[in-house]
Amino acid sequence: MSGDGTQDRLSAQGLRLAYDDRVVVDGLTVTIPDGSFTVIVGPNACGKSTLLRALARTLTPRAGAVLLDGRPILDLASKDVARRLALLPQSPLAPASITVEDLVSRGRFPYQRLLRQWSADDARAVAAAMAATGVADLARRPVDELSGGQRQRVWLAMSLAQETPLLLLDEPTTFLDIAHQHEVLDLCAELHEAGRTLVAVLHDLNQASRYATHLIAMKDGRVVAQGAPAEVVTAERIRDVFGLACRVLPDPETGTPMVVPARRGAHTRASSDLPVPPSPVASP
Amino acid sequence: MSRAPAAVPTVATLPAPAASPDRWRALTGHPLRGRAVVGVAVLVVALLVGAVLSLTAGRLGVPIGDLPSALAGTGSRAQTTVLTALRLPRLGVAVAAGAALGAAGAVFQSVTRNPLGSPDVIGLGAGAAAGAAAAALVWPGVVPVAVGALIGSVLATVAVVAGAGGGATAPLRMVVVGIGVAAMALAFVQYALSRARLADAQQVDAWLHGGLDGRRVADVTLVAVALVVLLPLALALSPRLQLLEMGDDAATGLGVRPGRTRAAAVVVGVLLTTAAVTASGPITFVALAAPQIARRLLRSTGPGMAAAALTGATLLVLADVVAQNLPLPVRLPVGIVTAALGGVYLAALLVREWRKGTV
Repeated sequence: MSGDGTQDRLSAQGLRLAYDDRVVVDGLTVTIPDGSFTVIVGPNACGKSTLLRALARTLTPRAGAVLLDGRPILDLASKDVARRLALLPQSPLAPASITVEDLVSRGRFPYQRLLRQWSADDARAVAAAMAATGVADLARRPVDELSGGQRQRVWLAMSLAQETPLLLLDEPTTFLDIAHQHEVLDLCAELHEAGRTLVAVLHDLNQASRYATHLIAMKDGRVVAQGAPAEVVTAERIRDVFGLACRVLPDPETGTPMVVPARRGAHTRASSDLPVPPSPVASP
Repeated sequence: MSRAPAAVPTVATLPAPAASPDRWRALTGHPLRGRAVVGVAVLVVALLVGAVLSLTAGRLGVPIGDLPSALAGTGSRAQTTVLTALRLPRLGVAVAAGAALGAAGAVFQSVTRNPLGSPDVIGLGAGAAAGAAAAALVWPGVVPVAVGALIGSVLATVAVVAGAGGGATAPLRMVVVGIGVAAMALAFVQYALSRARLADAQQVDAWLHGGLDGRRVADVTLVAVALVVLLPLALALSPRLQLLEMGDDAATGLGVRPGRTRAAAVVVGVLLTTAAVTASGPITFVALAAPQIARRLLRSTGPGMAAAALTGATLLVLADVVAQNLPLPVRLPVGIVTAALGGVYLAALLVREWRKGTV
């Protein structure tokens, strides 16, 4: 694996990524360490989701290449890639009235051939994926009827049914309340412990620091820092990357870095940018 | 839902479920459901009833008691002539064109992710009609009418995809542009009719209303051959189209190439539509409604090519039986019956979609 001289399975070299004429990322090179739970963080529009989409080949680079097992990912057969790398996109659409089991079964597409659409292996993988994500009891329920947290676990089950060593997640906690955010992240941590390499984009720095084994911080389409959360998350860097004055304390629960924003008056950026109200109300 | 973190089974450690692999599922990828079996049975029975009525009803119809011998060629010569020259080609075109339209509708609705995105709404039928009218009336003898229909529907497709921009990734814009393309194509048809000789115009006019009168074995052969080639292709594309309905990113993650899949599906859908339109005229409603009826009847969650084709065949055969036997002084072409049904259905669909906020 990484460090013993062999190449990591997923990396990107000299990426230029753009939407129409707007270049979001230019000349980016990054490696996802094998066996890591890598989390990409950065301010809005820094290109973190764009990078993830390129790693998952849903966005074609203008220049450079994403390498999977040493070969350009776009040169590989798409089904072949899907047996090694799964993607949980930001907002997939569940077909109307599809059941949980049917949706999870779609994760087996990369293993299906024209005249062999379903096998005992497929059934086993789907059952295992539903068990691992705790949705086995919901197997016959329509996905439309589930709560946001349950639905996200169903999508995760679909990606797990792909049985890939690499799993990419684009903001898997968006639209979830804090309890369900942690439930999904705990699940990700378990999948990581079971031997998968995970790459996720997350908004919440404290969650990122707590769950990641490898953190990639991005700003303006560039990687500004990467490494263990304790090395990457410092007060000075948070100010550089996010423009936020803060203190970094050890998380009382896990000891990982925890970002505590400075009180209002200390927000240098906020205080200078905000207009002064014309007639301040006297406080009692 | 709580999970015991210590006891979470990994994919590798879970035992295989005891259930033996289902042959049906192994072949189709879908579990065999009671609901779907019942739905298919209903469709098959309705199609058979429609087929028997189509052969037996009306002044020239072969009485049902004589049908077996007439079909075997041992009945009276008059009955055999009615069957082989009139009723069987008519039934054959209705079944094959209905199936082709149903499958084409399923393909296009899946590609556009919109129940309104069927070939008759987005202007393919009208394009084919314009092409056929051009080949028959404006430049007669340059190309066969079927080739003219193909050129017309391909041009209409190109116009719709180009007009919507972004190669079929903007479903709703495709529908809107398609309505415009259909209007222009129909205007061209009117132009062609207005400058043609009366006799020619009448003949083409009858075809344009979607009629099954005077169909010959050659018409059946054309659309049946197209169906035999294209339906398996549509079936093979079906799993990929089903995944594309979850969004391009999700489908790509599972190993589908969205652009390629959509392009292949559009080609298959255009050819299916063209074959049907060439044989039967631009019949509306079938491609629009068959996939939706099939989905509801079978409670399926995919494009369901085979079910849509079966539903399309059933719909067209039944609509033709109705058209042939309405107590009216003039017999209506089936296309007018389906258009009337389609108007009601389309209005209902628009209201529903509007309420859901997708239109």
